[in-house]
Amino acid sequence: MAPETRTLISLEIAGATVPGRIRGISLRLAPGSIVGLVGPNGSGKSTLLAVAAGILPATGAVLWADRPIASLDPLERGRSAAWVPQEARFEFGFSVRSVVAQGRFAHGDDGEGVDEAIAAMDLAGLASRPVNRLSGGERQRVLMARALATRAPLQLWDEPLAALDPRHALEVLFLARRLADAGSTVLLSLQDLRLAHCLDALALVEKGALRSFGPPSEVLTAEALASVFGVRARTVPGLIFELP
Amino acid sequence: MSLSARHARWVLPAAILLLATAALLSLGIGDVRLSPARIWAGLLDRDSMASTVIWQIRLPRVLVGVLVGAALGAAGLIMQAYFRNSLASPDLLGVSTGGAAGASIAIASGWAAISLWSLPAAALAGSFLAVGAVLILARRGAGTERLLLAGVALNALLGAVTAYILSESTDLFQRNAQILFWLMGGLEDRMGMHVMIALPIPLAALLLWPLGRQMDLLSLGEAEAQSLGVDVRRLRRRLIAIATVLTATATAVAGTIGFVGLVVPHILRLIVGPEHRRLVPLTLVGGALFVLVCDVVSRMAGNLRLGIVTALVGGPFFLWLLRREP
Repeated sequence: MAPETRTLISLEIAGATVPGRIRGISLRLAPGSIVGLVGPNGSGKSTLLAVAAGILPATGAVLWADRPIASLDPLERGRSAAWVPQEARFEFGFSVRSVVAQGRFAHGDDGEGVDEAIAAMDLAGLASRPVNRLSGGERQRVLMARALATRAPLQLWDEPLAALDPRHALEVLFLARRLADAGSTVLLSLQDLRLAHCLDALALVEKGALRSFGPPSEVLTAEALASVFGVRARTVPGLIFELP
Repeated sequence: MSLSARHARWVLPAAILLLATAALLSLGIGDVRLSPARIWAGLLDRDSMASTVIWQIRLPRVLVGVLVGAALGAAGLIMQAYFRNSLASPDLLGVSTGGAAGASIAIASGWAAISLWSLPAAALAGSFLAVGAVLILARRGAGTERLLLAGVALNALLGAVTAYILSESTDLFQRNAQILFWLMGGLEDRMGMHVMIALPIPLAALLLWPLGRQMDLLSLGEAEAQSLGVDVRRLRRRLIAIATVLTATATAVAGTIGFVGLVVPHILRLIVGPEHRRLVPLTLVGGALFVLVCDVVSRMAGNLRLGIVTALVGGPFFLWLLRREP
């Protein structure tokens, strides 16, 4: 994957509020960073991602590269940011390849990078299969591949690892790393706090508000884990995965 | 089971060829049987008898059939993409029941007898009022679910209006028969005037033509389409406007004809896959073909109402196709 590095996009959310879901969340992500969004079910992670992607209107401001998203036209938005929803449901039987190619819509359907995106998500063998006949994890990878195909410098992924097996989950994290190293900004929500520990920074949301934002070791303290998630945490040697 | 891209290319030319054949058949079949040679002579005014039959009776009927079928097929495709559901049909938002209520009121009140234009005008008014009411009830910009529920409510309400008119004086057999005939749709006695009323259909089809790609994205999710760069609000507005014009016009000139809008896009999707750039022209041609064939069948079966034939032909064919689906 060779993402377009000429445009770097910072993400700034200032006082975003969606009544009943999130309130007053402010967050700033510099280009080249991977930030994990963690929090219990219903804490507002998906809402925050949708707000960041400009899909859900919110009071407060969302800025991409210091420009309010309201000032961007739809195509420019499509080129700037890619959003991956948590659940991948497809009513119609488009082929995997044609769904991934939809990522190029804002680029005049030039088809560029579609094959690389398919390969990066390990979908080459499924490229001509209809998406509505795939398993949950495969569908999730199709959506990830479509997001990659956009080559948008801002990548917003809602629980991209939820349905994936360990190998593909790890590959998604490595991919996020490569994208960020090339200058992309990646914000992803995840439930696996052990994997979250490997990221640059974490934002912990609780009941619709941002509780803390910083390096994982400062965010996932034993105290925070106990009060937010209701679990006690210990550091022990366990099963460690690596790509062969 | 959908065809590969290489084969799918030939479906549209094949459908056009079949449509031309069905049109020829439709011009030749009836009380006066005309051979292709006599049809040709009639079209060129070289055979006065054939010429009268073709220009006065059968050509308007074929043209109205083609336009109505194309409209219902494409409107069904739009609704299925809009609601992301392959079981959606053009009557979801109350367009046809609104038209039916308008027509029933026109017939019952005697307006329909004043001028030939008043029945289609009343149907059009009913259709547009119905969709307007649904859009207001669902509130602007609200999700598809609200729109669907408002459509269901209005469909029930307008259906009740028509049922009330039919039941309120059952002794008016003639009048009620006229309403029932209209409710079951048909292409008989169509004239040049009906072709003229149906002219917005090709215009709406032209406006629909470039939206195929955006419909692909919309059919896989509104929020996803928006994040990929589609102006979803604008697209949805356009699609509703186009589908309403198509369905309202078709209903105004031919009465309510069910099943075309549901079955035609569905069948074509099974054959060529879900890409809308391919499906838009195909549903236009396929809808026209389906309605023309059903009209020929209805004439050969002793003038069965068209709306009955579309269901009688379409239903079993649809079931057979679904059985073949793995």
